[in-house]
Parts: sequence; C-alpha cells; structure tokens
Amino acid sequence: MANLETSLKECLSAIDGATAAALVDYTSGMALGTLGGTKDFNLEVAAAGNTDVVRAKLRTMEHLGLNEEIEDILITLSSQYHMIRLLKSRGGNGLFLYLVLDSSRANLAMARHQLRRIESELEV
Amino acid sequence: MTGATATWTAYETTSAALGALAAEGATGALSGERGIVYLSAGRVVHAESAFTPDLGALLTRSGAVAPDGWWDAVDRGGAQHRVGHRLVDSGRLAAGALEVCHLGALFDAAYFVLAHDTRAHRFRPGAAHWLGAVRSVPVDAVVRESGRRRALLDRIWPDSAVDTAPLARVPGAGGADLPVRRVRTLTQVDGVRTAAQIASALACRTYHTLVELRRLAAAGLVAPAPAPAPPRTRAPDPGGGGWQDPDTALLRRLRDALEAL
Repeated sequence: MANLETSLKECLSAIDGATAAALVDYTSGMALGTLGGTKDFNLEVAAAGNTDVVRAKLRTMEHLGLNEEIEDILITLSSQYHMIRLLKSRGGNGLFLYLVLDSSRANLAMARHQLRRIESELEV
Repeated sequence: MTGATATWTAYETTSAALGALAAEGATGALSGERGIVYLSAGRVVHAESAFTPDLGALLTRSGAVAPDGWWDAVDRGGAQHRVGHRLVDSGRLAAGALEVCHLGALFDAAYFVLAHDTRAHRFRPGAAHWLGAVRSVPVDAVVRESGRRRALLDRIWPDSAVDTAPLARVPGAGGADLPVRRVRTLTQVDGVRTAAQIASALACRTYHTLVELRRLAAAGLVAPAPAPAPPRTRAPDPGGGGWQDPDTALLRRLRDALEAL
C-alpha cells in the first residue's frame, strides 16, 4: 500500500508531463510532503501561495451559499498547468494535492484520472 | 541513541531544548507543561498533548477505523511499539492515510507544547511512543510550523485563552449568515467544552477547529467561559454516550508509564 512518499513519486512517474507534486494542508499552508521542486521553483512557496487560492475559492462559495465541494482547480499558464485536487475526508483534514505539469507533454484528462486514483490512497 | 543528553536542561525554552536534543541526535521523550514530544535520532516522531485529541480519537471518531480495530491494534502492537504498523498490516488503513493523520496529530500537539514555550520539565532518554515509527519530521520544521500557526491564529483573534479554556457563546450575539462549517463549530460551544473537546466531537483536526473558534471569537460570538468550570468536570451524561477524551489520555499515559518501568 502506498505511503505519502510513494504517492508523490507516483504522481511524477505515472502522470505524463508532471514535474513537481506536493501534499498541502490548506488551513495552515504547510506542505506535508513535496517532491520535484527545483531551486527555480520553490514548492514550499507554491504550497503556501496556493493555499490562498483554495481558501479564496472556498470563501467565495460560502458567500454565494453554494453547498458544494471543490473537486479540483486548474490553473493554465503559458507553458504549465497547475492542478489542485482537494482530498475528500470524513475527518475534514483540509488537504490538497498540488501538481505542476509541463503543458506540452501533459494530457489533462489523463492527469486528472491518475490523480484521482493516487489521491484515493491518501484519503481517510 | 546517544548517552549525551544532559545539556537540554541548560535551555530556558522547550523549543531550544528540542534544538539541542536534535543536534545531539537524541532519542527519547521531552515533557513540557502542555505535552510530550518524542524524538528518534534527533527527529520528531510523535507529539501528544492533553489539549488535543490523539490519533486514536481522530481515526475512530471520523469512522476511518472502527474502535474495535483501533484497540485491537493497540493491544497487539502496543508493547512492541508497532501500533501504526499493525493498523496498516491488518489492512485497516492505507499507509498514506495513516501518515497524513499522524502528521496532523503531531503538528496539532506540537502547537500546544510550543505555544507555551516554557522550560521543559523532563527528558526520558530512549523512551519511544507505542504508536511506533510512522513518519519523522525535523525539529526545526516543527518549531517553525508551530510559530507560524501561532502567528496565523493571533492574526485572526489575539486571545490564546480560546485554545484551552472552556468556551461559551456570548449572550445576545447573533450568528446568522455564518458559513456551514462555522455553524457546526458554534453549535458545539456549550460553556463547558474546550477547543480540544469540540474538535473531538466534530472528529476534526484541532488546528482547524482553533481557526474556526478564533474567527467566532473575533466575530464576538464566542468567548472563554466567564466562571471557569473545573476542566475535568463531566457534564451529566445524556444517555450513556461514548468515550470521554480525558479518560483516553489518562489511559495512554498509564500505559506509557507502565512500559517505561
């Protein structure tokens, strides 16, 4: 059975075009695990910053009275995709998987599908 | 394991003592006023505090593991410090899910231990937690994250009494238009329960509950109960419902003490 380390490794090996992955607690902004960051791409900073993205969207949904869950958030840059996938949990762990993809090599539909599978290993 | 673990006493704060023990690569349990941090080869492997529900409470109350399954793993794995392994090996929990929950409980407890960063009380060299090795975190990451959480909470509402005192609703205050999650937390505030007991009742991580409670305090809806009830007093049990967390914490400490003999 996959642990945190192998789940992140699987993100990078099984998903085409994936260059970095992190598991992030969006209440505190802390990365519980990161893999694949470089000195030009600080994953800890990305984790903390994307926490604000998730929180802003959750707050907006609350203001709108939308009683729904966020499944994922996709941010399209000129050469990258950033995918944020919120983990479902009964305990309300408040975690998301953050994945950076090279857009020239990535297949978005496949990436979402794979991420959903990897995510299920981490859900409580 | 090293034998040179006497220097931690020279430090005025728990965080500094942890830093010294990490530098020595020490293994053992450092007790402070609000909890215990377990080290293995200078890294934090677990932390627990009476102010936050433990991993067992989190896993069983959320329904991730049946209480029978949890206690079975504790019975079979406790003496060998392999409760975590047993949960995973017996197929009750995925390894990744255990690590995620364990880290959550570790950082929650460490927040309380380090929020009140006074001189550490005691270090038991060689002491290991019965949960066993799940995942370890560097001491400086734990200290840094605890400080960051403290700052985040203080930015919402700068009254740390909300974290530990019994909480009451402010009479006459509204509460309309609150988001669903905050309403869920607010309904648990009854003048007796503390943040830890509310977190446990909601099967929610303590830090997340603290965020909601401080927001409720900032909105003027919740405040520490005026006449502090004795913290261990039980409310009359409405229909014999379930475990009370202080009992679990006490049992856990008894077990630790017996194992240390």
